[in-house]
Amino acid sequence: MNRSSEWGWWGFGTLVVVFMTTPLILVVLFSFGESALTNFPMGGITGKWYDELFANREFWKAFRNSLTIAGVVVVVSTGIGTMAALTLARMRPTLSQPLLIALCLPVMMPPLVIAIALLVYYVRWVGVELSLFTVILGHLLVTQPFVILIVYARMATFNYELIDSARDLGANSWITFLTVTLPIIRSTVIGAALIALAVSLDEFLITFFTISGGNTLPTFVFGKIRTEMDPTINAIATILLVLTVSSTIIAMKVSRYRA
Amino acid sequence: MRELIKSWKTVPSLAVLAGLFVAPLSLLFVVSFWSKKLFRVVPDFVFDGYQKALVSYWDVGLNTLAIAISTGIITTTIAFFFAFFIRFKAGRYGDILLFISLVTLFGGYLVKIYAWKSILGLEGILNTALIGLGIVSEPLGALLYNRGSVATALTHFLLPIAVLPIVASMRNIQDITLEAGRDLGAGPVRILLGVVLPQCRAGIIAAFAFSFLIAAGDYITPLFLGGTDGAMIGMFIASQFSIRFDWPLGSAMAFLTMFSCLTVVLIARLAIVRGRK
Repeated sequence: MNRSSEWGWWGFGTLVVVFMTTPLILVVLFSFGESALTNFPMGGITGKWYDELFANREFWKAFRNSLTIAGVVVVVSTGIGTMAALTLARMRPTLSQPLLIALCLPVMMPPLVIAIALLVYYVRWVGVELSLFTVILGHLLVTQPFVILIVYARMATFNYELIDSARDLGANSWITFLTVTLPIIRSTVIGAALIALAVSLDEFLITFFTISGGNTLPTFVFGKIRTEMDPTINAIATILLVLTVSSTIIAMKVSRYRA
Repeated sequence: MRELIKSWKTVPSLAVLAGLFVAPLSLLFVVSFWSKKLFRVVPDFVFDGYQKALVSYWDVGLNTLAIAISTGIITTTIAFFFAFFIRFKAGRYGDILLFISLVTLFGGYLVKIYAWKSILGLEGILNTALIGLGIVSEPLGALLYNRGSVATALTHFLLPIAVLPIVASMRNIQDITLEAGRDLGAGPVRILLGVVLPQCRAGIIAAFAFSFLIAAGDYITPLFLGGTDGAMIGMFIASQFSIRFDWPLGSAMAFLTMFSCLTVVLIARLAIVRGRK
């Protein structure tokens, strides 16, 4: 009986893993398939969907926009998020806990609500022209909670005596941060930055409502799914998947080594 | 006080929160009481938006809650058993399984929806497979554009999010508690429901809250996979801002939806905590 229940558990676990991964694997598989339909038989192996995609100027524009947004977002979000997390970690819990929850509220809110609220705010109150800049602001809001949570969690096991010794030896707070704190938590900060990168690259709703003209990779994919089920979607989807999944994997590898 | 002065480093983050979250949401709340005159939205204090939302969209609202609640329950249930498998049964493979869930978490929101559209479509992968295996003779149209297809895609998207908090809360359960239960003669079902379940309530509540709230607020999944049957409120909220420009109505719908969702989460929390007795 014990043995059969073991088999049952493994069968269930395998099913769940298959359910989670198959749709993504199929997309990658079909991006290399000869057939124009996303279906079996997929025909021979080909790179023609990628060739077609790379010849599309709209794709390159979207790609460049995505990288511009993500680049700025990662730097700023990691910077301000790390600063906030380091400070929160040294506060009294009665003060830091409410602040931490407040800072993380944006990821618990439906992205659609944030998207329409930002749209109305930009257009009606601030009077700012919608552009990549307004998208970057929205992305900062939804990426900084991840940075703050990851760095804050790391600081729970941080040895603060090291900072005190540095200060006793005469280093000011900047020197202490650059030569003591940052080298110790570097891998965590890199991990947090990569998670912010993955979130920004994959963000759709806030981008869609606050970009006005132009595309990022996700809004480009959205336009394609909406108009035609064109096989180059598989190729873009694969590129997007490789970008977000590889940054997640590297993030976890990097931060696990020290954790 | 000294602590507050030293905490200037949290100011940039808090400024982002205040300027890009608190202020916009407050404005949206104010706008929900404005009125729409012909093609213009003007400041006012009326309940037109709320009235219109309740009269014209109550059925979509209920459909949204039905889809989101069933998605939340299915996702949380699968996540609970999967988390149990990862923590207690999978041994050294547990970490790899957790790693796979984490990787799929950040892998392409739109990509997943697109993948389900290709799998479930009339000429999709599942239909071709079923015909190929001789199980059906004609493609099943019922696979796509209904509540089921929306719930399936949402469950797929939300499963990793639900697994994480439950695994985290199971970390605190010692193996020895399970052995004690077994020694005292409890069967596997009794151990699962009587020993493990009560100790990871916090994780289960978080998993349900996350998956339910995200499902209720989603609009791209029903837009591409829902048809008329699987229509959800997010689609109609979005269209008030993108095509119809009835901001008061859209904002009122958004706040009514958030309010109903919070009520559901509080009831679910109460039910799970009460289950202790």
